[in-house]
Amino acid sequence: MKALILGANGYLGPHVVKALEAEHELLITDIKPPPTETSHKFRLVDATNLDQVMDAAEGMDTIINLSVVRPHRVLAFGVNTLGCYNTMLAAVKHKIRRVINTGPHFTVTGPPYEGFDFDIGPDVPPQSGINLYAHSKSLGQEICRVFTEHHDIWVQEYLFYNFRDPAKLTPGGGGVPFQISWDDAGEIFRLGLKIELDKLPSKCEVFCCLGDMPHGKFSNEKTKKILGFRPKDDLSAQWTKPV
Amino acid sequence: MQRRAFLGSSAVAAVAGASAATAQSASGTAGPIRRILITSAEHRLARVLADSLSEAHEIRLTSLNAVESKHPFQQSDLGHEEPTDRLVEGIDAIVHVAEPLPGADMHQQIDHLTRRTYNLLLAAGKAGVQKVVYLSTLELLTAYDEKFVVDEQWRPRPGLAGPSLPKHLGEYTCREFARIGVLPIVTLRLGKVVHASEMSRGSFDPLWVAEEDVAQAVRLAITKGSENTGSSLSRWTVLNISSGSGKARFDSSRAKRVLGYEPAHNG
Repeated sequence: MKALILGANGYLGPHVVKALEAEHELLITDIKPPPTETSHKFRLVDATNLDQVMDAAEGMDTIINLSVVRPHRVLAFGVNTLGCYNTMLAAVKHKIRRVINTGPHFTVTGPPYEGFDFDIGPDVPPQSGINLYAHSKSLGQEICRVFTEHHDIWVQEYLFYNFRDPAKLTPGGGGVPFQISWDDAGEIFRLGLKIELDKLPSKCEVFCCLGDMPHGKFSNEKTKKILGFRPKDDLSAQWTKPV
Repeated sequence: MQRRAFLGSSAVAAVAGASAATAQSASGTAGPIRRILITSAEHRLARVLADSLSEAHEIRLTSLNAVESKHPFQQSDLGHEEPTDRLVEGIDAIVHVAEPLPGADMHQQIDHLTRRTYNLLLAAGKAGVQKVVYLSTLELLTAYDEKFVVDEQWRPRPGLAGPSLPKHLGEYTCREFARIGVLPIVTLRLGKVVHASEMSRGSFDPLWVAEEDVAQAVRLAITKGSENTGSSLSRWTVLNISSGSGKARFDSSRAKRVLGYEPAHNG
């Protein structure tokens, strides 16, 4: 599959590339060049620039949108919201049926859930709250969803929170109850490109992408059930009592 | 300086003697609604609303561009910096007409209804604005088969052309501000807004609503408190605003019940 990756040179991008490169032809794009030499095609693409996104998407089978801006209001809405609009316009124009979009967990499961509930899954009405990052990403996801109602495009929305290197766990270090190893995160993208679209329950599906957490706060059951995700890295030592 | 100019306007004396309406927020704090900010001043509807509301309130209009107006006007790009904070300083309620500039492309429309709305609401929350009335569109519901009686309980189904997607995203933003309790927000979904005289000419459009009736609905939404538990406004209230014609595509039963809305121009 020919895969366009937007925002490929951020924190998550290199791990997605590593997971996909054996099976797919990748076009890596970002607003900055890759930090190290890459064997893949690379192009400078700003997700806020429709023409650049359109050009990059030509001939692709899928778009994976990893682009993100967190703190700056103009840029956050530009990348996180309008970037999704551009992605979906490009998918429509180039007849790309498979899109994977990404965002933080509170794109959907924001404070009204997180502050109150347990076993929080992805199939709940989005309640991002007004955190800039969460809300601008949530608007982007809503744009993707609306496009799936009008076009033959299938969107998988992957929600993440914290990433962790399993070799660097700190017993008792704690942290948010929604974590995944970098490798497991990359694996979910591989599974997302592998699944036949008609095996997805609908044209717009949200997945909580986390490892097996001991807390029971958030649930990765849907990701396991639909995509066949089996986290290989156990991060639970992060919450054991220090020796 | 803008604040002083605003308070120093000749409208102040008239307003001081008027019976300022009282609103009550979801948090229970109550206060008179004296000063109202209206956005999208270049649009006819904003001017109609300003004229109507100025009978009992001090009005400040704003727009991205400079607009000549008989009401106090403050230009603002609704950015994320101090000018937007100053724009809402001393304001009790905002009528967010939320129309992009004429000729704006879809990117600009989405940006206006998301980022700029976010900035406005964030500044309003900080400034202690008591209520926001957001003007949306009934086009969010036109995708449903006409055989259905579609009310506010039906999920919006925005299209990808025209104003419905940006307006929907504006609602999405407003809803989150209301949900977490920053501001009580009343969303009025309007049909095609026309002057009353147009409704008696030609064939009736089931989406028509007279601008005079919209002004009535906005005035009621501004002034309606939660003193009556049977018809209270929650911190997030969505109301369809149509004409009262039997041919209207959507009815306004809930607005009638909750606000006391009585459309006078029914084709």
